[in-house]
Amino acid sequence: MKDHAQYAESLALYAMDALDDHQVAAELRQHLASCNECRSELESLRGDMALLALSTAGPKPPQRSRERLMREVAAEPRHTHKVKTRFIMGRLQPRWLTLAPTVVAVLVLIASVALVRENLHLRTTRAALARELQIERQRAALAVEVMQMMHDPSLPRMTLVSTKTSPQPQVRTIYQPKRGHILLMANNLPQLPEDKVYELWLMPSSGGAPMPAGTFSPDQKGGAMMLHAMEDGGIEARAFAVTIEPRGGSRTPTMPIQFAPAG
Amino acid sequence: MRVSGTQMSNQKDEAALIARIRAGDENAMAYVYDRYSGIVYAVALRVLGSTSSAEDVVQEVFLQLWRNPQAFDADRGKLAPWLAVIARNRSIDVLRKRPMEEDIDELPVSTGVNLEDEAAERMAIAKIRGVLAQLPQDQRRLLEMAFFEGMTHSEIAGKTGEPLGTVKTRIRSGLQALRKAFV
Repeated sequence: MKDHAQYAESLALYAMDALDDHQVAAELRQHLASCNECRSELESLRGDMALLALSTAGPKPPQRSRERLMREVAAEPRHTHKVKTRFIMGRLQPRWLTLAPTVVAVLVLIASVALVRENLHLRTTRAALARELQIERQRAALAVEVMQMMHDPSLPRMTLVSTKTSPQPQVRTIYQPKRGHILLMANNLPQLPEDKVYELWLMPSSGGAPMPAGTFSPDQKGGAMMLHAMEDGGIEARAFAVTIEPRGGSRTPTMPIQFAPAG
Repeated sequence: MRVSGTQMSNQKDEAALIARIRAGDENAMAYVYDRYSGIVYAVALRVLGSTSSAEDVVQEVFLQLWRNPQAFDADRGKLAPWLAVIARNRSIDVLRKRPMEEDIDELPVSTGVNLEDEAAERMAIAKIRGVLAQLPQDQRRLLEMAFFEGMTHSEIAGKTGEPLGTVKTRIRSGLQALRKAFV
């Protein structure tokens, strides 16, 4: 990320749309949103541009240009509501009619309050719908990724089994090294105390320390599913392992290993 | 019916003028055209080099003002510099064969130049040309390439052989020299 001075340097080019580095232009737009000084300088630079434009003054457009414009303008009339003042002369109106404007004003006020309330309600509803839409989109994206990982035969698969005698618990992982995404599916897992969770560990091919790869807890039937994204992609995995850790997970695995690659 | 100069002399307030255009006052629109079409046409002609293309830009700029007068905020600048910048940007769009946007964007323009009447405008133009004449020729050329020819930073550096950083600095300082003349 650049600092303020570097952005300020590029403002003149930005004002003239002469920045051909779209990345820099996008960053600059972001910076402008939060920097009053740069926004003010941009306005002044546009003023400088106006001076350059004024240096060309001299030639005048032909008369036909004016006629063409005014024809177009006349063809696009505004729909304005002009208030006409009416003077009523002669006959006096019944007294109750003099109250009519007040009554109308009160009714308009009541209607306005109702409309404001309705507007607030609609805004609240819209915000709630937007949140729901966001959640649904996240779910859909997750489902798509799960399906893609499950159907991609090129991704390495491992089945982890209990290191103890019982073979029933099973943990399967699918790992996409490029993006650092791990899909874990487990069943028949032993239940854990409230304050404990299972934690998956990625053993790097480079031989480095095990890396935490997400925590999970079994459901009532001992099943679990987790899609975890490592902080960085591109890490080659030698193996995965599962340990039991305090809720919240640990930075280093607590022995013993509960599940390790079969074979 | 056209609005005479005398009538309009009492209505210099550009906010009021824009309010009249918003209300659909064609006379106010005609006044704005008569007062500022020269600026818009001249810059379009300089960029595009074609009278018919420049007339199209004039048409586009003023029609957009008619359709969307609230795009101009009188509290944040004057009409003449704003129209000049809009005209230049529209002309560069045409030059680069980019589609024109339907609406005029919010484009605050801040300058100390006095363009209250035609005499003040003539004085300002003479002063601007004087400042430009005093700039080194190669710096003036960089400004022209960026502003009137719509060339990008890299294109200018490629054409002149100047480093990118030098192009950026000289364009910026050229604009600042203009600004200083009107502080």
